[in-house]
Amino acid sequence: MTPVCVDIDAVLDSLERLASQRPVAARIVATTNNDRSSAAELATVLGADVALAAKVMKLANSAYFGLSGRVTSLQLAVTVVGFNTVRSVATVALAGIDGTEGLPEGFWTTSLHLAAAAGTLGPLFQTGTGDALSLGLLAQLGAALLFQADPEGYAAIVAGTELGTGRFAAETQRYGITSAQLTAEALQQWRFPSGMVDALRAVQGGEEGALLRTAYELAARLIHPRHSSVPLERLCGHRVTENQAAVRLAAIRADVEALQHALEL
Amino acid sequence: MTASPAPPRQVAQTCPAEVVAAVFHAAVADPNIAVIVADLSEGAEPRIRWSNPAASELLATASCDLEGHPIGDFVTGPDGTSVASLLRRERTTVGSVTVRTALGERTPYRARATPAPIGLLWTLQLHPAHQDLEVALRASADAHEHRFKVLAERSPVPTMMSEQGMRLSHANDALCALLGVTADKLAGTAWMTYAHPDDLDTITDTVLGVLGGQQREIHARLVDSGGRTRDIDMRFTPLHSAALGDGFVATLEDITDRRAFEERLDYQATHDSLTGLPRRTKLWAHVAAAMEDPDAGLACMFLDLDNFKVVNDSLGHKAGDALLVEVARRLRGCVAPGDMVARFGGDEFVVASRTDSLDEALDLANQLLRVLSDPLVVDRVEIHPRGSIGVVMRGPDHRSADDLIRDCDIAMYQAKASGKGRIMVLDEGARTAAHDTLALVSDLHQAIDEHRITLCYQPILRLVEGGFELASVEALARWTHPERGVVPVDFFVRLAEEHGLVRALSKVVLETACADLAIWEYELGELAPPRVNVNISALQMSDSLVVQDVQRAMQRYGVRPGQLCLEITESALMRDRDAASAILSQLRDEGVQIAIDDFGTGYSSLAYLRRLPVNYLKVDRSFVAELQDGHTAVTQAVISLAHNLGIGVVAEGAETAAQMELLAQMECSLLQGYAISKPLTAEEFVRWCRAGRPLACTVEAS
Repeated sequence: MTPVCVDIDAVLDSLERLASQRPVAARIVATTNNDRSSAAELATVLGADVALAAKVMKLANSAYFGLSGRVTSLQLAVTVVGFNTVRSVATVALAGIDGTEGLPEGFWTTSLHLAAAAGTLGPLFQTGTGDALSLGLLAQLGAALLFQADPEGYAAIVAGTELGTGRFAAETQRYGITSAQLTAEALQQWRFPSGMVDALRAVQGGEEGALLRTAYELAARLIHPRHSSVPLERLCGHRVTENQAAVRLAAIRADVEALQHALEL
Repeated sequence: MTASPAPPRQVAQTCPAEVVAAVFHAAVADPNIAVIVADLSEGAEPRIRWSNPAASELLATASCDLEGHPIGDFVTGPDGTSVASLLRRERTTVGSVTVRTALGERTPYRARATPAPIGLLWTLQLHPAHQDLEVALRASADAHEHRFKVLAERSPVPTMMSEQGMRLSHANDALCALLGVTADKLAGTAWMTYAHPDDLDTITDTVLGVLGGQQREIHARLVDSGGRTRDIDMRFTPLHSAALGDGFVATLEDITDRRAFEERLDYQATHDSLTGLPRRTKLWAHVAAAMEDPDAGLACMFLDLDNFKVVNDSLGHKAGDALLVEVARRLRGCVAPGDMVARFGGDEFVVASRTDSLDEALDLANQLLRVLSDPLVVDRVEIHPRGSIGVVMRGPDHRSADDLIRDCDIAMYQAKASGKGRIMVLDEGARTAAHDTLALVSDLHQAIDEHRITLCYQPILRLVEGGFELASVEALARWTHPERGVVPVDFFVRLAEEHGLVRALSKVVLETACADLAIWEYELGELAPPRVNVNISALQMSDSLVVQDVQRAMQRYGVRPGQLCLEITESALMRDRDAASAILSQLRDEGVQIAIDDFGTGYSSLAYLRRLPVNYLKVDRSFVAELQDGHTAVTQAVISLAHNLGIGVVAEGAETAAQMELLAQMECSLLQGYAISKPLTAEEFVRWCRAGRPLACTVEAS
């Protein structure tokens, strides 16, 4: 595919402008970035954005967290889903990707699969489930940005490649950067923890990217029925083995449904 | 393509040159930070434009040799990609890179890329990815985590850990063994499928409380992979970690075996070992639980075997037990699941059935009687069990299990009283009467305990030449109820007999009579009666304790045996002749006098009478009453019989002077009745004695 010129800085600039239109979401991200913030403080900030607060409440009451219908206060909801997840939900709003317009085909299906897969795998990679879920949920932000800059070209990449290695190669060839790396740039701009940024940058290789890399593979297996599998052991240094794959995939499928329902995506 | 070939924004340069030089010097002089200036103006791959001594040392290449080299020869992204993605035009970025060091090793570094205000230049500061302290801390943290992990994994205590809501991030080996699954089957919310459906809400509510910061302990059931239910004590502790989020640690204790043991003990304590049926306590709990719902219908049936005593006495206890076991089995086979058959005691069973239809209850009662009556063979003897059933439907008056079970007991007695082998539904009138009786029994009990049973005394005179002398007084019990007034003696004696109070009542009468006699001896001297007569109940004729009670009463009040005469009805003697004979002999050996009361009404055989150690016969008042009508034969016969046997004779119920005169003519020397005196209180009796014992009517003494 022909390389095209996409001004990454311009893309990031536009993201910043978008953020300024959602000041509450920006405050939420800032509050979650502060280690000293409490659940009560975050709940107070979150309460100022009714739509986001409702989304977090719904998520906390979803089957994903197993507390269906019992979480009645926003503070408890924040406690249940975790700061990172609140930050991710706010970031989705901040980036203007909390709908279906202006997004590549199957964007949220992919994101939810990545979120569920990463959330399931997190504990095996010594990553908190909240961190892992957030990482998966936001990993495709870069894909949305690339699609907005080059709608036709990126749509062709999505149509012609499978999630994971093949698509990363096509993205690099066309834009000189992968969607995950672009996400890393955006998250760095919003001062997300360096662990998340590094994980996104290292998705194609490197220790930090092992969790997300494995999540991409499992998501691809679920999204693309004819996906040519890469052995999991090779992707993550034997943290997950092929004989665990079936159980993991079943769990991910169930989690995707729960998240989809809760986030209305 | 990569980042940005477009020209950077111009930044106003306002600092004097010397300030710039000072800052530059400070920035590059640090020997620990390698600084490289990267230039992107020549294409996609940045090249080294300048490097500081620290960079030169790190990369083991002279600064002049580094200049113009592609930076990728020395510094790459972690996966070998170009660092160009770190070079953002208007913002500083930080990222992981790999540096090929002087020793040829590839070492992780953190690169900070700052765009220059002018031109396509970036300053890359390379910091070791992990400072020594950071490495040491991480090693320490890793060691701690490893220890914790080994401890948790190998601990025999089943343990689970969550970092988000109910989602498990960790389940140890013991928990996997408990549930018979691998850890990956418990991850996330999958473990919740192993909670018993009825307990999942409790667990979830508990976790919510724990997430709110509380420690909790609950009992819940889990179902293992084999479908076996395990009873578990779960102890939850909140887990808060800034880095990981809010969750919980729960340790589990499998108490299935302990609980099973406790349940076995409880079962043994609450079930009859012979029939396996629940005992009374279990029945009470069952009925009480059913009554918690104010609208729940409940029928209670009290079944009593009609012929159990016969089987027990004739075939022995073993046969009796076999009969009870078989009856229990038959009854159990009739009731619906959820209903209860309990062994109430002996040959009594209670069936509690959840129905609000009397017809259904009667159908069940009929079925119970039908299955009961099938013959069975015990010790080669065919037995035809029979029973009586009292049925009661739960009504608004039944406030407790006590009320309901007591009523079906009453109904069963009604059934027995109406002829055995019947079913009787509780009759309201009978219930009221039974409740009334129970209340009166309770009051009688209290009256006996509080010595509120009083005595009246009716004198017995002996005809002597020229007049009468006081031979004895008969003590007559009286009970004045605080609300009902005077209760007839026959009635309350029968109550006492029917409800196990007769010995207590007799003791009170005996002791009071002995006490009064002692007082009279002190107060009246020679005027005191030589003897007091006390009535003994028929039931006491088979209770050898009566002898003891008599001895104690006499001893306590200093009464000599000859001063006490016990009156026993003729019919009482006939109930159990051998026992009565034995007890009378013992009393007689003590020196106590014995009189047979109501003589002539009990069909006693003369042969039997002759063997009894008796001092007096008392002619029944009904025969004395006939005297004036010319019917003297019976009275005369009794008097003659007494004379022939060489014992005394007392005529009761002498109410007129004429009767007294006739009796005197018949040589009945001892007289008692209203013609002499009505029964008197102890005080009245004292006054009567002091007044010279005036007769109530005028009699010509012969």
